[in-house]
Amino acid sequence: MTTIAETRTKSLLYLDNVSVSFDGFKALNALSFVVEPGELRAIIGPNGAGKTTMMDIITGKTRPDTGAVLFEDSVDLTKKDEADISQLGIGRKFQKPTVFESHTVWDNLELALNRKRGVFATLFYTLTPEDQKRIEEILTTIRLTHRRGELAANLSHGQKQWLEIGMLLAQEPKLLLVDEPVAGMTDAETAETAILLKEIAKTRSVVVVEHDMGFIRDLGVKVTCLAEGSVLAEGSIDFVSSDPKVIENYLGR
Amino acid sequence: MITNFILRALDGKITLTVAILLVVAALVPALNLLTTPDSALHIPTYAMSLMGKYLCYALLALALDLVWGYCGILSLGHGAFFALGGYAMGMYLMRQIGSRGVYGNPELPDFMVFLNWKELPWFWYGFDWFPFAMLMVLVVPGLLAFVFGWFAFRSRVNGVYLSIITQAMTYALMLAFFRNDMGFGGNNGLTDFKDILGFPVQADGTRAVLFAMSAIMLSLCLLVASAITHSKFGKVLVGVRDAESRVRFLGFRVENIKLFTFVVSAMFAGIAGALFVPQVGIINPGEFAPANSIEVVVWTAVGGRGTLIGPIIGAILVNAGKSFFTGAFPEIWLFALGGLFIAVTLFLPKGIVGTIRQGWTSRKTLRAAADQEKGRGTALLPQAAE
Amino acid sequence: MRITSLFAAFFALLLVSLAAPSFAQQPVDPKPLIDQLAKANFSQAEDLIGKMAAAGDARVVPVLQAFTDGDLYVRKTDNLVFIGKTAGNGFELVEPLTGESAGQVAKNAVTKIKVNNSLRRAIRSAMGGLTLLSPDRSVRLQAADAVMRSPSSENLELIEAALAKETDAEVKARMEEARAVSVLSSDRSVEEKRDAIQTIKDLGGRNALGILNTISGSIDPALTADVEAAVAALQSEQQLWDMAQNIWYGLSLGSVLLLAAIGLAITFGVMGIINMAHGEMVMLGAYSTFVVQQVIRDSAPALFEWSLAIALPVAFLVTGAVGFLIERGVIRFLYGRPLETLLATWGVSLILQQAIRSIFGPTNQEVGNPSWMTGSFPLGGMTITWNRMWIILFSLSIFFALLFLMKKSAYGLNMRAVTQNRRMASSMGIRTPWVDALTFALGSGIAGIAGVALSQIDNVSPNLGQSYIIDSFMVVVFGGVGNLWGTLVGALSLGVLNKFLEPSVGAVLGKILVLVLIILFIQKRPRGLFALKGRAVEA
Repeated sequence: MTTIAETRTKSLLYLDNVSVSFDGFKALNALSFVVEPGELRAIIGPNGAGKTTMMDIITGKTRPDTGAVLFEDSVDLTKKDEADISQLGIGRKFQKPTVFESHTVWDNLELALNRKRGVFATLFYTLTPEDQKRIEEILTTIRLTHRRGELAANLSHGQKQWLEIGMLLAQEPKLLLVDEPVAGMTDAETAETAILLKEIAKTRSVVVVEHDMGFIRDLGVKVTCLAEGSVLAEGSIDFVSSDPKVIENYLGR
Repeated sequence: MITNFILRALDGKITLTVAILLVVAALVPALNLLTTPDSALHIPTYAMSLMGKYLCYALLALALDLVWGYCGILSLGHGAFFALGGYAMGMYLMRQIGSRGVYGNPELPDFMVFLNWKELPWFWYGFDWFPFAMLMVLVVPGLLAFVFGWFAFRSRVNGVYLSIITQAMTYALMLAFFRNDMGFGGNNGLTDFKDILGFPVQADGTRAVLFAMSAIMLSLCLLVASAITHSKFGKVLVGVRDAESRVRFLGFRVENIKLFTFVVSAMFAGIAGALFVPQVGIINPGEFAPANSIEVVVWTAVGGRGTLIGPIIGAILVNAGKSFFTGAFPEIWLFALGGLFIAVTLFLPKGIVGTIRQGWTSRKTLRAAADQEKGRGTALLPQAAE
Repeated sequence: MRITSLFAAFFALLLVSLAAPSFAQQPVDPKPLIDQLAKANFSQAEDLIGKMAAAGDARVVPVLQAFTDGDLYVRKTDNLVFIGKTAGNGFELVEPLTGESAGQVAKNAVTKIKVNNSLRRAIRSAMGGLTLLSPDRSVRLQAADAVMRSPSSENLELIEAALAKETDAEVKARMEEARAVSVLSSDRSVEEKRDAIQTIKDLGGRNALGILNTISGSIDPALTADVEAAVAALQSEQQLWDMAQNIWYGLSLGSVLLLAAIGLAITFGVMGIINMAHGEMVMLGAYSTFVVQQVIRDSAPALFEWSLAIALPVAFLVTGAVGFLIERGVIRFLYGRPLETLLATWGVSLILQQAIRSIFGPTNQEVGNPSWMTGSFPLGGMTITWNRMWIILFSLSIFFALLFLMKKSAYGLNMRAVTQNRRMASSMGIRTPWVDALTFALGSGIAGIAGVALSQIDNVSPNLGQSYIIDSFMVVVFGGVGNLWGTLVGALSLGVLNKFLEPSVGAVLGKILVLVLIILFIQKRPRGLFALKGRAVEA
């Protein structure tokens, strides 16, 4: 407990003793988890370990039964809804790439841009040169400049994943939650995504949930292994993957 | 900022449609009033009123399209907003009858005298004043939409659940308006209108003006809808339709976006109802029937939801078909309408305009791709949704 | 007045005794006794009446009735006795015991048998004896009821005489009550009347309340307090019964809602298909009943009592087949697009309505009620009609049969597998399209069965389905989609709520209020009363 008390003062995201159950099934069981500012963290764990449920709780989609969820040490996230939490600076990428398929790549980014989001502000919004420059920057970052006018529906699976990451960047979040960013990607795309995420993590905190151990090794960061709704092990990839409990629960013998 | 908002509305096809509507607004009344009945170009008054009715339906379909086609909310209760607008206009028209009613009561409409009421209910106050009545045409449907939407969208009632409760809403209103004690004429509704702004409702001149007003209001609402859908807000709207949770996680208040659109749409429907009533001469609780609202959905679907021109075309085509069939083969009409529902959903999910546009855009995308091959993008700003 | 009403009661009794004459002991044929009346003087007649009473044959009751009324005649040609009714210028003669017509005669062909007050008294006691003392238990019971309906001091003596001899406990209790009523209108002592009030109060029900209310004005002032206390007690009891009756009406409405919604609980609740043509399936079921009854009327009228039982499988198969066609022809192309399904099935509903309208015409069709569906019976202070009773039982049995099918049978398992994870089910070898089609057919078939039941209480017209569709959706949504128990609870509670609102705000406003309440409820709990929770559902 002392470690948590110490880290509290400087944590970006702080989950303490969070539990939630669906119809008797305990999806999260007294989960405690801390992310420091500027940290890139990977989360692994078997199916049903509670990875997605944890993200649901952080982003306000699900309310925990018990426990505390604090952002920047002061904001109680359990009292906020998705829009509030997003505006606080937490961005989320879904497991299945979710972009606006009937909009162009450009429009997708324009919508994600961190500007006033009220009804009338958006009704009378006009693209400023400044915003245009920002979008072009992001297009370069996510390597989609050449497809800016294309409908998002026509992008490849990997490009959609990148576009979604780009939209998160446009949001300018302090914390990025990324759910299985390389699922369904080619090896080349996977490697490139690892580079992209490391680049992003230079300016903000990122939490990546992934199954791909090679990808996590590429990231080379602190790893948290979840199982049955609580933390099984935490540390470097080598430390975690040699833990006997992790091997039994997740990696297999 | 505002000028941008308005200028964006003037996309090519919209401008063309508005121009056509304005020409129609001038030409049809002219052909009705200025030609003699034996002239080949003459448009009889009944035909003009019929077309006026279609334009009101077109406006109603446009209203539905704004919420369904752009925001993904399938309202099965838009007939309620239409009817409320109609009742607001009907109440004004009732008050204009004055002492010319059957019972000759200067203050009370006939049905109230018949029910032995002694004084005008409070909610009838003010409806003798045209500007107030017109305000109510917007406020009453808008308020209902606001209250309904406030609760529904906040608690995230979605998809078919929302459709079912909108249907329950219009059904409950229908039952309510059938009651005599509601004070809206019960079963018979409001009818036997005499004047509007001092002009006799039945006169050719008045009818011509009403027709022109229908076309003009339709163009105006079309421009507003176009401005909305071409703005960033419109893009968010489509985002809500396609990936609601993504919009939420981007930090938008989805409930406010839906609520705004729902209220604007309800007001459009109210305007349509208000223009409809003086042209057909009656408003009764039957307009609230759930079946009516569902029929609006098929007009929109036939024309093409998610396009602004589609619902207008759909409403006019289906209703012209209805007029033809119910005249020539009344037995067939419901078969035809039922078949239309099935055919559109199975074979033409994008509707007429949507299908045409799809063909057109896919050619354009091919061309754009070809351009990109040559190493340059087509446009700095991507083309808008419309 | 009282005497005539007593006679009227006896006359009703006569119908029963004629329909089912029962001879508990070896009867003496009363016919010669009746014919002897022709020549008897007053005292001989009184003697004969006593003998008739002793014979214990209830068939003489109408003869005695006619005697007091002065309708007994002797035919001059053969000195036989007949009951005569004025017909034209003469009389229509009726055989006294059988009631068969013996032809018309002129006025002067018969002589009237004279009657005096002493004879009338003898007749009355004979009639009372014949019935109150009848060897047939049910006749005695009915006689006691008749006395209760027309209390008088004369009847008091009769009933006390009968009580003295009565051995059957139930009949005795009934006679005690009848006696109590008579005591109140006699000149007996205050104490005896007080006991009588207590007896009537214990009897309970609306009748007792009516009796006490009528006598409360004319009663001995010493007893007013007793009567008032008894009335108050009865009234509060009556309120409880009224509430029970209201609940019954509510359950009855609820069972109708359940019937209409139960098929939808399958198609919408389990499969997630918005079937707007569901109401039309109900309508088709009702028309199947109509057609079955027409065929039976034309070819085998004897089977009419069985028409509903025959209509059930017919309706199930007809609507099930239509449902199968709809699923294969339209819905299967629209899985995963619920709003489109809604529109397409609405189109189907329009076509079905118009088809029925074209075939059968737009007017209501007459569907007959078999005799076991008509009439009612009292239960304590409530009246229960048979048709409602059967419909409640029927809807519950359908519900439980369906529940069993879903939870216990192999087919139910397949179906749940398909709805929960189509791909997985398919890879386990379940033929998912087949399960889809059958499930939809099942839901439609159940709607058809509902139509058979609803044809008994509603107008059978092409619009029948329209009036149920919104209510059915409300029930399923209110109860919680995907949960059959939710549908049951939803239907019954909405029914009861409706009936409890009705007395205070009227039927239409009550319905509106219920709709508004459901709309508000859905805001609070978008997934209904018994919602499934969890990540999979939220997504």
